[in-house]
Amino acid sequence: MTVATETDAPVHTSTPAAIELRGIHKSFEHREVLTGVDLTVAPQEVVCLIGPSGSGKSTLLKCINLLQPPTSGSILINGEELTAPGADANLARSRVGMVFQHFNLFPHVDVLANVTVALRTVKRIPKAEAERIARQQLERLGLSAHVHSRPADLSGGQQQRVAIARALAMDPQVMLFDEATSALDPELVKGVLNVMRELAESGMTMVVVTHEIGFAREVADRVVFMDGGRIAEEGPAREVLTAPRTDRLKEFLSQVL
Amino acid sequence: MDAFFHTFFDVNQMLAVLPTLLTEGIKNTLIIAVSAALLGLVIGLLLAVMMVSRLWFLNIPARIYVDVFRGLPAILTISLVGLGLPAAGIRPFGSSPIGYAILAVALISAAYCAEVFRSGIQSVDQGQMQAGRSLGMSYLQTMRKIIVPQGIRNVLPALTNRFIIDIKESSLVYLLGLTVGERELYFIAHQQQSITYNSSALVAAGLCYLLMTVPLTYLVNWWDRRLRSGRRRPSAARIGLMEG
Repeated sequence: MTVATETDAPVHTSTPAAIELRGIHKSFEHREVLTGVDLTVAPQEVVCLIGPSGSGKSTLLKCINLLQPPTSGSILINGEELTAPGADANLARSRVGMVFQHFNLFPHVDVLANVTVALRTVKRIPKAEAERIARQQLERLGLSAHVHSRPADLSGGQQQRVAIARALAMDPQVMLFDEATSALDPELVKGVLNVMRELAESGMTMVVVTHEIGFAREVADRVVFMDGGRIAEEGPAREVLTAPRTDRLKEFLSQVL
Repeated sequence: MDAFFHTFFDVNQMLAVLPTLLTEGIKNTLIIAVSAALLGLVIGLLLAVMMVSRLWFLNIPARIYVDVFRGLPAILTISLVGLGLPAAGIRPFGSSPIGYAILAVALISAAYCAEVFRSGIQSVDQGQMQAGRSLGMSYLQTMRKIIVPQGIRNVLPALTNRFIIDIKESSLVYLLGLTVGERELYFIAHQQQSITYNSSALVAAGLCYLLMTVPLTYLVNWWDRRLRSGRRRPSAARIGLMEG
């Protein structure tokens, strides 16, 4: 992958794209949800996926880490093809962090164990070291006081920050956010968005499915507008959001802004 | 009326059999029931994980097992295992019937435990599997660390209920012919009754069963109530699913 051919020379550098999606199709039963998506995300780039519900943006996100494997098409993370036969999907997923709309914390264990469980089972890190890493991440996200709380005893915003800490503890190369603030009470949204902004500023490669157009305008390097299972328009955040080219995006923005 | 009381509630008859019931009977009943329940739990959990698998060569055999052992009368299964196996020359537990008795009750218990575990596993929100997998954990790792522990918690009362049934079903092993020292409650009482033609020993054994099963029944009820009312806030994911 790192060898550039003459006809297909990389545009910017010789380092592979953080994420490269080629011709992604996804069908459920007989319904085609993604109808051929190509998307390349550069290292440290922040891409926001916007679009009406049912446009396929969440499905596309879950294709990236094979939570919902594409029906056809190929996915490369840092030049490694996940869709190649024999590729280790578990290993690939451990390098791609994901944050869910409904947090999906493990309710039967405390906050600390939520963060350490994958460190221990996937990375086989000894307990003490795993807990040190976990505490460090939790402290970074302002959750030191809640290390031994159960998820159910935390606010939605705190729960989502635990979920972010849990993903970050695995030291991912890419972070995926699936409507991370949609299930939060309005007054808790800002805190989580701030965490995501700081993460973006720290150079994390991020793909963010969001309805927060303000966040997209401010934080995203690029905005991708999806409609009907394909990319309808994409470009630099400011350009796309302030001067949309397609009628469909104009209409969408007029409804959400 | 005198005859009635004499037949069922003869205090002397009861006192005569009581020491044997308490020292030998309860002990062996519990040995059979507890061992069978534990073995049944292990096999049942394995079957449940097989049943929720998408792989046909795992879920179909498990399904058949559960259907067969839930569908057969317990006494028939116990006869097949306890009388049939040794007769066929398969004697992993030697000549003592206790091992076969435990195995037979465990095989039945496993079928019911499997269904209980399966419903528990399937009651766990799907987002839990997604979260585990998104962290790089394998399907089995996520099952073991995330899904099964949550699923079991929801079905603890149902499993205890099954243990009560195991205690009662352990009485059926009397038909395997137990020798002194390995007799359980019912066998002792039954022996006494066939000698004296007086049922008071059976009543005494019955009281011993109730001594074990009734407190357990109340434990189950209390536990169930506590799990329902004391349950922490339902997870946001489930609320989300209902709204969406």
